Amino acid sequence: MTQTIPLTLDINGTPHALAVEPRVTLLDALREQLHLTGTKKGCDQGQCGACTVLVDGRRVLSCLTLAVQAEGCEIATIEGIAGENGELHPVQAAFLEHDAFQCGYCTPGQILSAVACIREGHAGSDTEIREYMSGNLCRCGAYNTIVDAVRQAAEAAR
Amino acid sequence: MKDFTYSRAASLEDAGLRAKEAGVLLMAGGTTLLDLAKCGVTEPDAVIDIGRLAGLADIRLSDDGLHIGTLARMSDVADHQGVKSAFPAIAQSLSLAASPQLRNMATIGGNLLQRTRCAYFRDPGAFPACNKRQPGSGCSALGGVTRNHAVLGTSPHCIASYPGDLAAALIALDAVVELQDRKIPIANFFLEPGDTPHIETVLQPGEIVTGLFIPASPAAHCSTYLKVRDRASYEFAAASAAVALDLHEDGRTIRDLRVALGGVATTPWRARSVEQALIGKTLDESNVAQASRLATEGAVPHGDNHYKIDLVPRVVTRAILTLGGLA
Amino acid sequence: MTLIEPRKHGDASDGSLGRHVARLDGRRKITGAATYALEQPVENLVHAVLVQSTIASGRVVSVDKAAAESSPGVLMVLTPDNVFNMMVASDWNGNRVDKVPYLPLPAEVNYNGQAVAAVIAETFEQAREAARLIKVQYEETPATTTIAEAGTGKVTGPMTVEWGDAEAAFEAADITIEAEYRTPREYHVPIEPHGLIASWQDDQLTIWEPSQWTHGMARTYAEWFEIPFEHVRIISPFIGGGFGSKGGAYFYGAVAALAARELGRPVKLAVTRSQGFTAYGGRASTRQTLKLGASADGVLQAVIHRGANETSTYAEFHESTGAATPIMYAVNNFSSQQSLIKVNTVTPGALRAPGKNPSAYGIECAIDELSYAVGIDPLEIRLRNYADHDYQSGKPWSTRKLREALMTGAERFGWSKRSAAPRSMRDGRTLIGWGIGCGTFPNLTNSSEAMIRILSDGSVEVESAGIDMGQGTYTIVAQTAADALGVGVEQVDVKLGDSLSAGAPVAGGSMLAGSITGAVHKAAQAAREELIGLALNEQNSPFATSGANTLVIENGRIKTSREDGPSMSIGELMAMLGRESLEVKRNTLPEGTTPEEKQKAWTHMAKVRGPTAGDFSIHSWGAHFIEVRVDEDFGTVRVSRIVSAFDCGRLYNPKLAESQLRGGIIMGIGQALLEEGLVDPRNGRVVNNNLGDYLVPTNADVPLIEILSVGEPDFEASVLGGKGVGEVGIVGVAPAIANAVFHATGKRVRDLPITLEKLL
Repeated sequence: MTQTIPLTLDINGTPHALAVEPRVTLLDALREQLHLTGTKKGCDQGQCGACTVLVDGRRVLSCLTLAVQAEGCEIATIEGIAGENGELHPVQAAFLEHDAFQCGYCTPGQILSAVACIREGHAGSDTEIREYMSGNLCRCGAYNTIVDAVRQAAEAAR
Repeated sequence: MKDFTYSRAASLEDAGLRAKEAGVLLMAGGTTLLDLAKCGVTEPDAVIDIGRLAGLADIRLSDDGLHIGTLARMSDVADHQGVKSAFPAIAQSLSLAASPQLRNMATIGGNLLQRTRCAYFRDPGAFPACNKRQPGSGCSALGGVTRNHAVLGTSPHCIASYPGDLAAALIALDAVVELQDRKIPIANFFLEPGDTPHIETVLQPGEIVTGLFIPASPAAHCSTYLKVRDRASYEFAAASAAVALDLHEDGRTIRDLRVALGGVATTPWRARSVEQALIGKTLDESNVAQASRLATEGAVPHGDNHYKIDLVPRVVTRAILTLGGLA
Repeated sequence: MTLIEPRKHGDASDGSLGRHVARLDGRRKITGAATYALEQPVENLVHAVLVQSTIASGRVVSVDKAAAESSPGVLMVLTPDNVFNMMVASDWNGNRVDKVPYLPLPAEVNYNGQAVAAVIAETFEQAREAARLIKVQYEETPATTTIAEAGTGKVTGPMTVEWGDAEAAFEAADITIEAEYRTPREYHVPIEPHGLIASWQDDQLTIWEPSQWTHGMARTYAEWFEIPFEHVRIISPFIGGGFGSKGGAYFYGAVAALAARELGRPVKLAVTRSQGFTAYGGRASTRQTLKLGASADGVLQAVIHRGANETSTYAEFHESTGAATPIMYAVNNFSSQQSLIKVNTVTPGALRAPGKNPSAYGIECAIDELSYAVGIDPLEIRLRNYADHDYQSGKPWSTRKLREALMTGAERFGWSKRSAAPRSMRDGRTLIGWGIGCGTFPNLTNSSEAMIRILSDGSVEVESAGIDMGQGTYTIVAQTAADALGVGVEQVDVKLGDSLSAGAPVAGGSMLAGSITGAVHKAAQAAREELIGLALNEQNSPFATSGANTLVIENGRIKTSREDGPSMSIGELMAMLGRESLEVKRNTLPEGTTPEEKQKAWTHMAKVRGPTAGDFSIHSWGAHFIEVRVDEDFGTVRVSRIVSAFDCGRLYNPKLAESQLRGGIIMGIGQALLEEGLVDPRNGRVVNNNLGDYLVPTNADVPLIEILSVGEPDFEASVLGGKGVGEVGIVGVAPAIANAVFHATGKRVRDLPITLEKLL
């Protein structure tokens, strides 16, 4: 019964051709097949946010998205958000400046979530940032500086 | 997770026909389906993706009420300005649910049909007995760790709680669930477990939720969703209340009141006895506190969840008083 | 808010150490370029998935693997029937029973969630599905699944601490309190799950695995497979959080390495999030009774402590609830005992501040209870019983700025504005409470080794097997080397996490930073001396004729101490010397250490020196001031304000130290309010074995946390004056919150976590 579906995923503006079983998640396709390992697997069941990517500009969990579901969508991962000349995205720069991470494992998810959070207009106050960044767990406990970084990037974007 | 075939539904009709076949599951956002497939709870042979069907994601406000297409994402409804102002309980119940990422993925129809978080339901390897998964196999939750289990609407066969937030707001506001060929008042949509916990709604094979309609009312306009939980965010409710209130012109006599509960019952739970006790009465702390105790009439605790019986009236009281400007 | 001011060195120089240098590995982490263990691109890789037991005690009678073996892509199924020629490895202290076969998948089942099989397949998806098709037949035996039903346990004699006559002093005391405190099973849950890639090239084994201790883990793999230590290479440049859980090699590493050897292909084994709750041990659940006796004015007369923790049925782990009790306060009569209680669980392990954490929870709640019993302020009672020396060892403190931490923290927090009575502060229906909790962690020391390499362009490489799991090792090592060499931090590249590199102890017990910086400092100084010597002695050198008998290196330039003398960059010197590189390796072991002992220093714990090994008693200290807001109707507790002051000696990088301290505090918030392994008493299953049900704090649970540093360089503690930072942050947080909850509500909750139903 095994069905392998050829598909092309548009990741960070580049088409990637691959063939997947339907059950393969977007997360596993990115990490295991395309070796785009910046997107992290923390729980594989929608409970930590480490696998956050943007699909058509919206933050979603790649562990609960089938690769085939994302066909035809614009997918953005941590590997693609800096400028072409290597210039950091303002959110990345703010994370570095404020030390908004320690081990770094939840960080790509945090950064993509923060990019979306600002774009959604959910970074209006510290309380709002905290609530709208709560889908990304950080066990090292960088939450204070994550809020600092998101606030700074949001202010810069205004 | 077993492999399955994947295809996109060509139309609603196509999806409905395919969904009648054994082993076929429909998927919209995919958050519940994939989660449960990874747990080994669902094992579809074929997944039909209805997520791209056109015309099913609209959010439409009219004088009559609010229509939400089944494929509208939770976040779109939660952030919709019109919904926020005319149906605050709806918007609040959604923005307090799950996480921003999940709200971007999960659809309204899928949210309504989400499955219980009962740890025993979700762990078939360690707990083969589950009447919801395997009718007649027993209930592992009885006698187990039951802090999050239901106190209302339970049966000797199942005490799993319905975990959703939105549905409590919907049931308070007398929403109507729209299927391809019929409409069902939400009060009649969910089924208590009884001796068939595996049957959770009145949906027949091939029937698909196509949308929701929430009638406009003064009470809906003055509604709220109060969610209580240990963690400040990204957690299911220990107890919640969706409340809608309309006062007479005197500003203190209750003309209309709707009360529904989340996190404490096997289905989204309407607490009509609280409503009946207060309609026509004066809105004050004493009346509200007294009536709110009726919310847990008939509640049955199991092990660790007795606290919900104490908590629910307090949540209901606070929600009503908040709407009335008294909290 | 950054409140820590950069401090100068203990010595005269003022280099980068002590400054807020941004994380050197930061750019890689924020761009996705940091490659964690399971992300290594390895050719020809196959995937392993574990199968765990569903009973708490018994034996595997048979495993039906037919369906799994015929499932698509499956290459191998390992069960207890497979016996491979492996040997039990030595324990942390180097003790080893010779020639005992090691069975990573034993037939005997000691806990629910013990691995009983593994499936290896071409793809992850195939292995995961085939693992589900494995059917295991068990012969069940009765189990003890929780500490509550397991009796009193067995007293561990060597952990008994006694001085004075505690019973008599307690009986004679004016005021006494007695209370029992309980903590549940808690879990590390680093966001990077455990796992590894194992790959053999002939008899050489390469392991990519997140590791807090590459040398210790390499030693374990070498002993398991009876191959030389040098034939194993653990590579762990980035670790996605450890908190004590990634310090050792576990059975699943053996499973992956075995499968890789048998299949002749590299094997990736990813422990799933749920499996992680029983693939290795979290913090043991504990209970402890504290009896405090005091005079009417609140001066402690006696402390009697009886503690216990759960351990497994097959190994002993001590979560010493009496670890902090004897050193927090001045008391002349003291008694403490610790018991072990066997239950059917995976053997518990070290989780952030093992021992000190539950211990401080007990004593810091008890002292708060005493303050109310006596009727004096919780701050005042701590000052009134301030320990001027270590009453347990009788030794003087090296440095103990706990008084300063209490005073500075109280001032910043506004403690003097506190209304004393419980339930006396509120905001509408929200009760407000303020609480204090103190913390401590001993200064453990061990030796380290470091390699410094000066390259032809004048850049510097530092190599160590030590690791960075977010504590900031990369950064402080570069700062240390830069200062000692006289170059800029940006000139230094640091390579960590490779067991073939220079030796380092475990990144645990807050001992790595003090140890590794000592070795880096020593090696860099030696390299500097060597550069200067070469510059002076090289025939064509402008310095040879300058008349100088020594030189300085500043900002990467070598020069005479006279401003008008010659100077050249290190790169220019290397060119003049015609050298491609210059390597200097140094360690901080005593002179004359044999090669065998040197190897043991990095691969075992036996050489670790405790806090009172020398003339002083050396510890880090902290004081937390915490405000909670409790909904009086719902019982929900939210932490709304934290000020924490620490004495961790000199901070090598306050920016990173602050992050680490905050992280400990946040884990303490989780411990106080959310975290609890829920065990089904019928079969010992951890039923909330996932991040949706085992709750750790989210961003919304965490207020602004102000960190103050009151420490000064402590050169008894380490070469460069720092004391440990990583562990002490969490210690004292849970009691501060519990005490604040009491102040808010008047209700004393003595079992963690303080969930809402306990306050209804």
